[in-house]
Amino acid sequence: MNKYFALTRGGYMMGVIYRFGFIFTIIGNVVYLGVAYYLWKSIYQHSDVIRGLTFNEAFLYVGLGSAIFILLKTYVDWFIHSDIREGTIANYLIKPIDVGLYTLFFSLGFFLMNVTAITIPTFLLLIFVFKVQFTVGIGLFIFPISLLMAFLISFSFDYFIGLFGFYTESVWGLSTSKEIIVTVFSGALIPLQFFPDAIQKVLFWLPFQAIYHTPLMMITRPNQSWDVFLPMLGIQLFWAVVLFIGARLFYDQAVKVLRISGG
Amino acid sequence: MRTLSEYLRLYFIIETQYIKARMQYRADFIISSIGMFFSSLATLGVFWVILESVPDLAGWSLMEMVFIYAFYMIAISPMQILFDHAWQIRFHVQQGTFLKYYFRPLNMMFYYMSEMFDLKGITQLVVGVGLLIYASIQLHIDWSLARVFLLCMTLFSAALVQISIIVSASCAAFWVVNSYPVLGLAWRLREFSPYPMTIFDGAFRFTFTYVIPIGFVAFYPSQLFLRPEEVSSLIYFSPIIGIGLFAITYWIWTKGVNSYTGTGS
Repeated sequence: MNKYFALTRGGYMMGVIYRFGFIFTIIGNVVYLGVAYYLWKSIYQHSDVIRGLTFNEAFLYVGLGSAIFILLKTYVDWFIHSDIREGTIANYLIKPIDVGLYTLFFSLGFFLMNVTAITIPTFLLLIFVFKVQFTVGIGLFIFPISLLMAFLISFSFDYFIGLFGFYTESVWGLSTSKEIIVTVFSGALIPLQFFPDAIQKVLFWLPFQAIYHTPLMMITRPNQSWDVFLPMLGIQLFWAVVLFIGARLFYDQAVKVLRISGG
Repeated sequence: MRTLSEYLRLYFIIETQYIKARMQYRADFIISSIGMFFSSLATLGVFWVILESVPDLAGWSLMEMVFIYAFYMIAISPMQILFDHAWQIRFHVQQGTFLKYYFRPLNMMFYYMSEMFDLKGITQLVVGVGLLIYASIQLHIDWSLARVFLLCMTLFSAALVQISIIVSASCAAFWVVNSYPVLGLAWRLREFSPYPMTIFDGAFRFTFTYVIPIGFVAFYPSQLFLRPEEVSSLIYFSPIIGIGLFAITYWIWTKGVNSYTGTGS
C-alpha cells in the first residue's frame, strides 16, 4: 500500500508546480462568486424563500459548489487518454502496479493539493467577503467523508471515460458530454431543489447528485438528524462502490484491444 | 504583401485538406458534435430551471433570455470554429514546435490559426441560428432591413470581442508557457456574457462593460432588438470596440511571437 501513498505525495507535489495557475483559478473563483452573488440576489429579489431555500442557503450551495467543482475535476479522462494515444501507458503495464489504483492515488494527491490551494481560500472568501452564515451541526463533520466519496464517484466517471481512449481517436466529445451532464444534474450549477419536481425525482435515482448535492446539503443544512444523513451517505457509498468496480471491469475488457506501435 | 483574396483562397485550400483528414475519424466527429450540443446549451438549461421557479430574471422573461443566449451562441462561434488552435499554443511553445510558424511567407497568426478548423463549432452555430429564429418568432420581432444590418454589425463586433479575449489570453503562453489557467479564466468569463448585465452593479458592471467587455458579446447588442428604448448609445460604438480590441490582441500576439525563445527542448 505504501507505494500507492508515495504516488499521492507525487500528485500533491505535481500540483505545487502549477502554483502560478492557482492565482488565476482563485481570481476565476472570486469572479464566479461575485457573478453568482448578483445572479442569486436578483433571483431572490421578490421572495425570501424559494423552493425551501433561503438566499443564504442557495448562495452557500452554489458558491461552495464552485469550490468543490475544481476539487473534483480530476482530469483523469484526459491523462489516461493521452497515455493511451501516445503509448506511454505501456510504462504502467510493465510495472507490478495496478493501473486503476495508480491513477486513483495519484489524483488523490492532486485533490488534496486543491483542497489546500483552492477550497479553503474559497471557504474563507465566503465567510469574510460575502458574509455567508454557516449553521453548526453534525453535517459539518460528515462533510469531509461525504466529499471523499464524492471524489471517488467523480474519479470513477472520469476514469471510465478516459478508458474509451482504447477505442476512439479523441475523447473530447465524451468528456465534454459527461462534464455537462454531471455539472447540470448534480447540483454543481444550481441547487437540485430548483428543478421541476418530476425531474427531481428522476435525478435522485441517478449517481450525479451524490457528487455535489449530497456534500453540499451537509453544509447548507447541517443540523439534521442521523436518520437523514445516514441514508445519504449510504447512497454515496453504493454509487462509489458500483462505479469504481464498473470502471475496473471495463478496464479489464478495454486493455485487451490495446495496440502500441513502435517506441 | 499578399492580397485578401489570396489569403481566402489559401484558407479554403488548407481547410479542405484539414476536413478531409478529420473525416477519417467520423465517429469522433459525431460524438464531439453531440458534446458541443450539450455544452452549448448548459447555461441556457440553468436559466430555464431558474425561470421555472421565479417569473423573471431581473425583468427578463425566458424567451428573451433564449434570444440573448442564441445571440451569444452565434457570436462565440467564429472564435470556436476559426481560432480553436489558440488552445494549443502552450503545447507548441513547450515542445518547441512553434518554430515552424516562423518559416512561411505568410502572416503568422493566419498561418497558425488556419491549422485548425473546428467542425464541432458548426453545431453551436446551427443551434444558435435556430434558437434565434425561434425566439424572434415567439417575441414577434419584425426584422426590417435596417435591423438585419444592425444584427450583422453587432454580431461581427461581438465575435471580435470574444476572439480577442481568448486569443490574448492564449498569448500568455509566450511568457509563462503554461497558459491554461489564464485561458481557463477567460473561458469562464465567456460563460457570463449571456447574463443580463443589469443584475450587476459597481465594479462588476464596470469591468464587464469597459475592461473585459463581455457585455458586448451578447447582452448589450440583444437589448437593441428586445428593448430598443432601454439601450445605451454605447452599443453603436461596438464595431470600434470590437476592432480596437482585436488590434490590441494582434499587438500582443506580435509582441509574443517576437519575444518567444523556446524552452530549449
